[in-house]
Amino acid sequence: MAEAMQKAPKGSGAFAPYQVKLSCAFMGLGQLFCRQYTKGALLALLEVGFILFMAFAGAENIVGLITLGTTEGVPIMGIAGDNSVSMLAWGITTVFLILLFALAYYANIKDVIYTARELRKGNPPKSFFESCKELINGKFYFLTLTLPLVFVCIFNIMPIVFTALVAFTDYGGEIVPPRLVSWTGLQSFKVIFTMSEYIGTMGKILAWNILWAFGSTFLVYFGGLGLALLYNSKCLKGKRFWRIFPMFAYAIPSFITLTGFYFMFCDSGPIVGMLKDWGWVSENFTIISYDSRWSLRLLGFFCCAWVGIPSVMFLATGILSNTSIDMYEAARLDGANGLQQFVYLTLPFVLFATTPVIISTFINQFNNFSIFYFLRPETVYAPGYFNANSSDLLINWMYNLTVENGLYSLGSALSLILFAFMAVFSLVAYVTSPAYKKEDTYR
Amino acid sequence: MTNGKKLRLRPAAGIKTALIYLLVILVSFIFAFPCIWLVLSAFNAEGDLLTLEGFFPEVYSFDTFRRLFTEINKYDYPRWFGNTLFVAAISCVISTMLVIAVAYTMSRYRFKSRKAMMKATLILGIFPNFMNMTALFVIMTQLHLINNLWGLILLYSSGSTMGFLVQKGFFDTIPGSIYDAAILDGASDLRVFVSITLPLSKPMIVYTALTSFVWPWADFMLPSMLLVDKSSWTVAVGLNSLDDSEFSIFAAGSLFVAVPIVALYIALSKYLIQGGAAGAVKE
Repeated sequence: MAEAMQKAPKGSGAFAPYQVKLSCAFMGLGQLFCRQYTKGALLALLEVGFILFMAFAGAENIVGLITLGTTEGVPIMGIAGDNSVSMLAWGITTVFLILLFALAYYANIKDVIYTARELRKGNPPKSFFESCKELINGKFYFLTLTLPLVFVCIFNIMPIVFTALVAFTDYGGEIVPPRLVSWTGLQSFKVIFTMSEYIGTMGKILAWNILWAFGSTFLVYFGGLGLALLYNSKCLKGKRFWRIFPMFAYAIPSFITLTGFYFMFCDSGPIVGMLKDWGWVSENFTIISYDSRWSLRLLGFFCCAWVGIPSVMFLATGILSNTSIDMYEAARLDGANGLQQFVYLTLPFVLFATTPVIISTFINQFNNFSIFYFLRPETVYAPGYFNANSSDLLINWMYNLTVENGLYSLGSALSLILFAFMAVFSLVAYVTSPAYKKEDTYR
Repeated sequence: MTNGKKLRLRPAAGIKTALIYLLVILVSFIFAFPCIWLVLSAFNAEGDLLTLEGFFPEVYSFDTFRRLFTEINKYDYPRWFGNTLFVAAISCVISTMLVIAVAYTMSRYRFKSRKAMMKATLILGIFPNFMNMTALFVIMTQLHLINNLWGLILLYSSGSTMGFLVQKGFFDTIPGSIYDAAILDGASDLRVFVSITLPLSKPMIVYTALTSFVWPWADFMLPSMLLVDKSSWTVAVGLNSLDDSEFSIFAAGSLFVAVPIVALYIALSKYLIQGGAAGAVKE
């Protein structure tokens, strides 16, 4: 494709031999008339397959995507109606396939223009074998990226499109198959922004979520940096041994750590028990309960630090080992003391080298689902909150809305709002980062 | 090591050293204590969390471990463990190959839509994982991959390719002149990849393999959604289904999950530190 583009001079609309017209009419015909029989036959077969697919399933799927089902099923009477949700899924798949086919059609025309041009110059057409060889050599990227792209389309992009579309339907709550789902436009967004229980809950949770994201990013990042510097001190002997301890926290799966912390701090756990035994707290003291606000939030910060600091620490250790000794040598000759060396040499370098880490830590912390999911296993909600708890982050709230309570369209609308916010933030942060602008520096 | 702080034999330096050791010991204690607590709890003779005397068990025994492996109708731990190992091992192999190939391609070749793909990866990465879950559940149902370990493997393999930016950062540091020389000598692109890039990127491959093994090994969200039958559960789902009256079982089961990973990480810590840093350092 790309080669054909480069070789065709701009404004070559007049160049249209009969092969090109044939390929425009039906994929592969032009190639057949250019004596590229195998390629032509394969392309023609692709179009035949596509037409058959559209005739037998595709058209129906598109109609289904628009109507989301017309006959409602009544399971008791044995009437199998339309399943709106799977119709939505298959409709999206069909749209994807049509787009993919359009792309193939475009490539097919590009290809035949290239071949016809070569023929006019008097060059023989490429054999099928030569084309394959070219694919392996000149377009190696095509070979390595195809499978991952297909995977990503099916398991990453499709679900996102699905979720985005669900936000504009009334799917969820009472309306789940076998009942019919229908398109409702911006209804879910209206509900979120106008109904007091939603907007009130969202305001409270958003405020806490922003506080959490900044607090925990700060804690994890500077904690990790501090530990890396501590373990790097010259006077510390046996560094390999001491580094084993944070390695524990780094390696143990977080579902174990967090559930472990839950057991440690829960009502029947040792911490609360010991505090009661010593008479330091009253009998009904709890750290983790359905309405515990700051005790659970503080515990969240602690667990987050325990789980998150080691990974930043190891990253920073790796980066610190890249700093040049000469720099410090020069600074020392100029009479800089330890603190000055840290402030003017170490810190700027590390901050600069780890900007992407700060961004990704912030995004991960903003969406840190597992901390409060594992720390508060009961699904009892706090007063003043709609399907949420005072320590829940937005992502936990969305989980409660969709997975626990089946309010899919509301949860989806909420996630779209959140997603738009995060996407703009991190895209700006990424595009302006040195990592993106100067990726070829080392070449 | 390279942090060139001044160190002379003065009383102040002695105090500083003492302070550093004190801090290091404190940090080590904070990290070690919950682990020690969990290990000792696994040897509690009684299962319930309430039977702990203070932090630690009163009577120690191996009974929990016997129950973990014999009360199969209640826990079926051996089966969960086997499932987890199967999913993690196969995902690890597939993901590593895919991620390395994608990262190498993105780093070495310049083609249309490359930058667009990288931006798209970044945006897709922000989308909270479980928000896709309803959709994923529907898709997996249509593909008949519910309760199927291969469905999980598919998801992990495709999910891990989205994280290729770290590996790409590493490949960016391999000088282009090496490739140019090989191409001049007539090596094909595939040949260059196999006999030049791969040997140079051993630390990165170890790093990738390790991280792509650990994700399925330690993940809870996907299996808890896709694996409905108790017999197809992974360890994470199984252990999470236990409440505080079965705390020792949880602790004992966790040991077998955590110990191999901790051992692997400690053994490969050199690669881990290098690998992570290589992907992050940019100038």
